[in-house]
Amino acid sequence: MSELLAVGRYEFRMQVRKRSLWLATLVLATVIALFQGPRGPRYLPADATAPEVMAGWALLFGIVVPLGFGMVLADRLVRDRRLGTAPLLESLPIRPGLLLAGKYLGGLAATALPALLAMLLAGGYETVHRGDPLMLGWAVLGFAVVMLPGLAFVAGFALTCPLAISAPLFRVLFVGYWFWGNMLTPDFLPSLTGTLVTPIGDYPASWLSGELALFAGVPGWLSFLRPEPGAGSALLSVALLVLLGLLPLLVAHTVLSRRRQHAA
Amino acid sequence: MAQHSWRIPPPAAPQLWRYEARRAGWAAGVAAPAALLVAAAMALLAGNGGAGRRQIGDLLLTGLEALLPLAVAMTAVTLVARDGCRELQLALPTRYAHTLGRRLGVLALAAALSALVYSAGLGLTGWWTGPDPLASPLVWAPPTIWLAALAVLLAVLGRSVVVATSAVAGLWLCEQIFAAMLVGHDWTRPFFLFTTSRVGTGEGWLTNRLVLTLTGLLLVAVVALLLRRPHLLLSEEEE
Repeated sequence: MSELLAVGRYEFRMQVRKRSLWLATLVLATVIALFQGPRGPRYLPADATAPEVMAGWALLFGIVVPLGFGMVLADRLVRDRRLGTAPLLESLPIRPGLLLAGKYLGGLAATALPALLAMLLAGGYETVHRGDPLMLGWAVLGFAVVMLPGLAFVAGFALTCPLAISAPLFRVLFVGYWFWGNMLTPDFLPSLTGTLVTPIGDYPASWLSGELALFAGVPGWLSFLRPEPGAGSALLSVALLVLLGLLPLLVAHTVLSRRRQHAA
Repeated sequence: MAQHSWRIPPPAAPQLWRYEARRAGWAAGVAAPAALLVAAAMALLAGNGGAGRRQIGDLLLTGLEALLPLAVAMTAVTLVARDGCRELQLALPTRYAHTLGRRLGVLALAAALSALVYSAGLGLTGWWTGPDPLASPLVWAPPTIWLAALAVLLAVLGRSVVVATSAVAGLWLCEQIFAAMLVGHDWTRPFFLFTTSRVGTGEGWLTNRLVLTLTGLLLVAVVALLLRRPHLLLSEEEE
């Protein structure tokens, strides 16, 4: 456990110092906050509840901010191989699985930090704007329930997929997937939009705000993944996203272990 | 005693292009056709899901107007940022802007050929829903020039793949999500990238295409100016 924490801490400290991580988050969060349109949380009526407002902000940031995290994490493991540090790290007396898990946790924590700060800033703004000190608490909860599971999902795929398809190709496919799987209306094209495995956090946001956030549960492809939005389905969505994010890590670990055994 | 000259003759132009094509890598040749293939696959998926003919036609057009520019722009960022021996390139008498231009030219050529073949394929099979076939390059060329030029500019200015790709991805996504809002304002309408597939080829379409082309070329000119000081590119953060 201490080894996992040590790797995670090292990875966190390394990633969190990346200028591009902060710049990308700043650009994306600022653009979406400024151009959120009349349906955005800034324009909710004055009597809107704190969970409704902060769920709106979490969903709004969740639309574009994970794109930056995908871009940041896409070259993480690829870079280790290109620079030749991967074999060096593998020679350490730590199990390869722990090394990968530590990198995942550290990378996730580092990329989640700017997202949490963005939510706290939005919470601070709403506290002043609406005079409700509870906004900050709901900002943290909104981040934890709406944004974090999606980031965990993205981190799993962004870390491992580029090993197979290269970082540039992953980045292109990731943007296409993000639009198709999160925002393309299910009646236009069969898509994962509005399902339990939508990383934008549609189900948790709908549960927090008490009304349909985007497309959660809207009839469409894979109807068994589209239950009615509520507390149970939100919890199920969070669990599924976290588990699905771990799946590519397990696959990558198995493949890399076999390769190492084959090479030995 | 005869003196030997150690000057290396400059390579012929086709040789240089071949060399830069190899330096650009497989992604430069594959990105554009792959994006169009994805569009065709999605149209097939939509067709199987019971989508109407008009909807499938729009989706095929979206591949040309939205997916192709995205793929080209993201690949362009990689071409600018990935150069393991940039210091060596800067030491050569050939200007680095020309070297990079040739590399991006390979990408542009692959994109143009793919788009023309794709458009012809749609026309021949009766799935073309865009403007007059002679004006078909105006569907893909202006947004491709604009988005790719912006991507290269950001890559040169920021020296970071992450920032450049995130910004391009964010812009592309925001244009898709806020399409109605962008089309609704007089000052944003000429800069909307996906007018053909989201609005149609009616009034203002040609203006939109011209504005995108001209501003895209302006961005290209700014990139060319910045590349007069190519040493600015020497400290990129990552691939």
